[in-house]
Formats: sequence, C-alpha cells, structure tokens
Amino acid sequence: MENSCCVVTFEITQHSLIFEKKLRDNGFEVKLMPVPRELSSSCGIAAYINCDDKANILSLCEDENVIFEKFHEVNLNKSKSWFFKHLKK
Amino acid sequence: MGSKRKMFIFGGIIGIIAAILMKLGNPGNMGMCIACFWRDIAGALGLHKAGVVQYIRPEIIGIIFGAFSISYLTGDFKVKGGSSPLIRFILGFFLMIGGLVFLGCPLRMILRLANGDLNALVGLMGYIAGIFIGVQFLKKGYSLGKNYDQPKIAGYLFPIFAVVLLIFLVVKPAFILFSTEGPGSMAAPVIISLLAGAIVGICLQRSRICTAGGFRDLILIRDTHFLWGILGIFIFTLIGNLVLNFEKFNFGFTGQPIAHNDFLFNFLGMTLVGLCSILLGGCPIRQTILASQGDTDAGITVIGLIVGAAFAHNFGLAASGNGVPTNGKIAVIIGIVFVLILASSIVLNNVKKVSKDSKGVSANV
Repeated sequence: MENSCCVVTFEITQHSLIFEKKLRDNGFEVKLMPVPRELSSSCGIAAYINCDDKANILSLCEDENVIFEKFHEVNLNKSKSWFFKHLKK
Repeated sequence: MGSKRKMFIFGGIIGIIAAILMKLGNPGNMGMCIACFWRDIAGALGLHKAGVVQYIRPEIIGIIFGAFSISYLTGDFKVKGGSSPLIRFILGFFLMIGGLVFLGCPLRMILRLANGDLNALVGLMGYIAGIFIGVQFLKKGYSLGKNYDQPKIAGYLFPIFAVVLLIFLVVKPAFILFSTEGPGSMAAPVIISLLAGAIVGICLQRSRICTAGGFRDLILIRDTHFLWGILGIFIFTLIGNLVLNFEKFNFGFTGQPIAHNDFLFNFLGMTLVGLCSILLGGCPIRQTILASQGDTDAGITVIGLIVGAAFAHNFGLAASGNGVPTNGKIAVIIGIVFVLILASSIVLNNVKKVSKDSKGVSANV
C-alpha cells in the first residue's frame, strides 16, 4: 500500500458511481477522482482503491455484477504525477 | 509541483494569451473563443453569408497543430472512433446554436466575465444548470458507447484540414471570404495568433482542461482538479486585461462588446451549451483538442459545430449586440427539448441493454 496504489477505470461514468457505492456498502476504501494523466489523456473518472483489497474487490465485482474497464497497479515511487502525490498525503 | 497549482498555471498561460490577443487586435473579449472562431472559419469557407464574421482564425490552426504535435510526441495520439458519430454531430450542432445565442463558447464566457461583462455571469449560471442536468443523465447510465481503433489515416484528417486552412489563409484564394468590417475584420497578426494558438493547444492537451469537465467533477464527485484550470484562465485574463486592456475594462451589463443583455436567453443559450458539452464528454475547446489527437468522434463533433454555425447565421438564429432574434429563441428551446429527449432515449436504451465487458476499448463519455 505504501509503495503502490490501484486505480480502476470505467467505460461509463455511471459504472464508477455504482462501483463506489458497492465498495462503500461492503466496507472497502474507495475514492473517485479524475483519471490520472499517466493512464489516459481522457478526462473521465477513475476509482482509487487499496491494493491489498484487490482480490476481495474483484470477487465482490464478480458476485454483484459490478462492471469496470480495467485495474491498474501503479508504483508510487516512480510516479511524480499530481494524482499519486495526492494519494501519498 | 502540486496538481492544482499546475492546472492553475496552465489555465493562467491560456488566460494571459487571451488578454494579449485582445490587445493585439482580436475582437472585444474574444482573445480566444472556440465557437466564434469556428463560426468565422465557416463564414470564410462560404458556409454562411454573414459578412462581418468571416475569417480563417489562425488560433484554431495553431491549437490543432499544437495539440497534434504534443500528443504525437508523448504517445497520446491514438486513432479512435465509432462512438455514435451522428448523435455527436447533432449535439455539436445544437451546442453551437446555444453558443451563438449567448455569443460565445464557455471559454469566451470566462473571458467576458474577466473583463467585467456580468451577462457572462448569467451565462455561467445557465452553463452550470445545463451541466447539472447533463450529470443526472450520466448518473442514470447515459453513454454514447464504446469507441474502436480506426485506420491511422483517419486521425490525420483533422490536422490535414488545419493545413488546408493555413494554405487558404496564406494564399487567400478568391473563393475564401474575409470580412472587411465587424468582428471578422478584427484580428491579431497571423504569426502571433498561430504561435499563441499552438501554445494554447499544447497547454490544453497536456492539462486536459475542460470547462464542462471542471464543473461536472465538482457536481458529480466533489473534485476540483480541473476547476483550478478554469480559475487560472479567469484570474490571469482579469490581470492581463487590467494591465493591457484597462481602457476596455467595463464592469456591468450594458455596453459590452459583442454581447447582449437578454438575461433569459443568455441563461438558456448556455444551458444548452452545458447540457450538450456533458453529453459529448467535453466543451468545444476540449472537442477541438481531442479531434487533434486522433479522436475521430470529436472530429465529427467539430464538423457539427461548423455546420451549426452556418445554420445559425443562414437561418437568422445567431444573436448580436442588438439582442436575440425570435428565430434564435425558438431554436434554443427546440434544442433543449430535443437534446433532453435524445438523452432520455439513450438512457432508456442503455438500461435495457445488457452490458458486456470488453477490454481495450473506452468511451469518450
């Protein structure tokens, strides 16, 4: 968690909202933010989750049919973007 | 550097450039206006006959070159398309109608506000109202669908269009129309406009500043990242105007350049712009940047903007300093109703459709 973070991207804005609600309802840490510049030149919405929860979240998404586009794992030490600096705080 | 500070500086560069271009000859509060500039280009190409707004604006060519070059160098240039192009064309069309009733795109709305034009404050309220309505559709599952890889040449068409426009601007063939009076005749020197446009294009491509995205994120996820870019544009234009264009600074509702004070239609015109921008996934300036970095759907949207501008003048819909013509008022109301019906039907359709996960593709909205 200290050295890496996980970002989830979505094809549809609504999916990010459903994802956030499902995770919160099940006690997971989640925060919606603009897609980090390193991942995309689009200005859509992504979700930050705790990497330690990845397996459980994937399982939850499958059980509850929660749709997402992709999981991205990013090394915080290598990144200098606004997004990851913000997460380090 | 902090993320918000970076966005603020990117916005600030755009704001200063807008003030400089106004100082160097661009029309009042129109240092940079994407809707007005595409409208001028539509006029120069003979698509409408409003003699006072015909000019091939070099800023647009510069923006396309700047955004294309930087996206190509950084690997952001990706040729995608096929996400409801006809719907995007229609939304671009109505966006332009709303913009030309208000008299400006969201960027010019900020520039007008930064020069004391309080009619732009009414427009801003309308814009936020339109975005708020658009966000409700996003929450309900609105999407224009996935986009797909397109042939590489498709991504070059928009930059090639910019090259053709540059040739027309330099060669000035007889079939290209240039205003001899009115806003279309007021312009900063071509070279400076081109370079300024290129810098703005690079800033916008790197920062992803989108006037609609800034307010969307604030309403939808309480995030202010993109909003700092908008604030940067406003504050630096304000400072730039106070230093460079002080004699033109005019605080109030009346006597504003290329503006009217019909409150209701300043509000509703920008409501239509805000609504269309959210449904398209970006305001006119963002669409122009996306089109430059290989997004062919955004390219279609820009063509919608151009055709919308042509119709706005050919059908007498566009406002002027004298106010909003009746045809323009009717067109804005038809536009809002039509776009609401369009978005509702898309939401209903998407609710029925079973979503299937598909890797490697993404939608613009």
